[in-house]
Amino acid sequence: MIKTKYWILLFALLLVLSALAAAMLWGGRGGTAEVISEGEEVCTLDLSRDQTLTVESSNGVNVLVVEDGAVRVESATCPDQTCVHQGARSGGVPIVCLPNRLVVRFSGDAAVDASTG
Amino acid sequence: MDTVMEVTVYGSGAADAAEEAERAIRRLEGLWSVTGENSEVSRLNRGETVELSTETADLLRRSLSLSEETGGALDPFLYPLTRLWGFTTGEYRVPSREEIDGLLEERASGSLSLEGDRASLAGLELDFGAVAKGYAAQNAAELLRERGISSALLSLGGNVQTVGNKEDGSLWRIGVRDPQGEAGEYLGVLSVGEAAVVTSGAYQRYFEEDGVCYGHILDPETGQPAESGLASVTVVAEDGLLADGLSTALYVMGLEEAAEFWRSRDDFEAVLVDGEGKIYVTEGLRDSFECSQFQVIER
Repeated sequence: MIKTKYWILLFALLLVLSALAAAMLWGGRGGTAEVISEGEEVCTLDLSRDQTLTVESSNGVNVLVVEDGAVRVESATCPDQTCVHQGARSGGVPIVCLPNRLVVRFSGDAAVDASTG
Repeated sequence: MDTVMEVTVYGSGAADAAEEAERAIRRLEGLWSVTGENSEVSRLNRGETVELSTETADLLRRSLSLSEETGGALDPFLYPLTRLWGFTTGEYRVPSREEIDGLLEERASGSLSLEGDRASLAGLELDFGAVAKGYAAQNAAELLRERGISSALLSLGGNVQTVGNKEDGSLWRIGVRDPQGEAGEYLGVLSVGEAAVVTSGAYQRYFEEDGVCYGHILDPETGQPAESGLASVTVVAEDGLLADGLSTALYVMGLEEAAEFWRSRDDFEAVLVDGEGKIYVTEGLRDSFECSQFQVIER
């Protein structure tokens, strides 16, 4: 049944193309986030790329996870766990872990329109 | 208004409208400058009788009434004290108690005559510093609306005023600066539609002497930098002048009095940060303030 094969191929192709288009759209929307540990920029996270990053400082360890265009602290060695409770964020207020001196600051479209103060 | 001005206008005719708004703000700035030799304010301060422009007369009347409403926490006649501390020139110094008391006495015995739009001062010096930016931004926003603009954002040195919503209909996101952090570090983000958002805090201008910090917001009662226990106050209101003036007045009042004042009114909301970094938010902003931890001030 050659015909069926063609249909499957066609649908497979369509599926791949739409997945690519979705990924591009998603990627275009997701901004970036700077990871700052102990006052120094460690790296810039591309929020459109799912990844896990472990940040070790002299005070402790934070595990960052980027997923679905947002970043969250998956786990941390700090006593208050405030950073973990901040949840997944894609912009606005930075994620901060005071005890471990870690800041994840957003930039790009996801940030703010203006600032006051 | 020695500040950075940003005017962003969306839609058709945006470029022309933005330019017009900037011109309007510059013109008002010229009328109210305390340093410009021929500004209306400078002429008043020299003791001349001045036929005020419509805007200046309106600003003066509204400043006076806001001063009264806030029980004097906002005072448009503190210029001699601001100068004494060096906040006008940057040549800071801590004045003696006698010097301060002398100027407070002068302030108390001075008088203003305002008939129609004719004004003159006796023993007083005017400074619209706490309200001018808010009022100018509000005027420019009004002008943009008259030009048919339905989406714009103005920022006069952190004094934010919006027209309508964002172009895509969503709310504006305004970062509230962390008074203990550096520029660009926010303690939270406010989502607002058409509104004025203004912040006051000593961290914006201060000097240090012998390990003590002296902020630029003076308490009209003591003639000294306000020490109310607050680090910053952000006010959200429909009215730009109100937001600007109240951010200063609430800062001077301190948390308790500011909360009481808010309960007595329904024309503004506020975010207050104390010296320890604790954040207090009035009820109306509960759902529009994005921040990891804050306490709600209830009616």
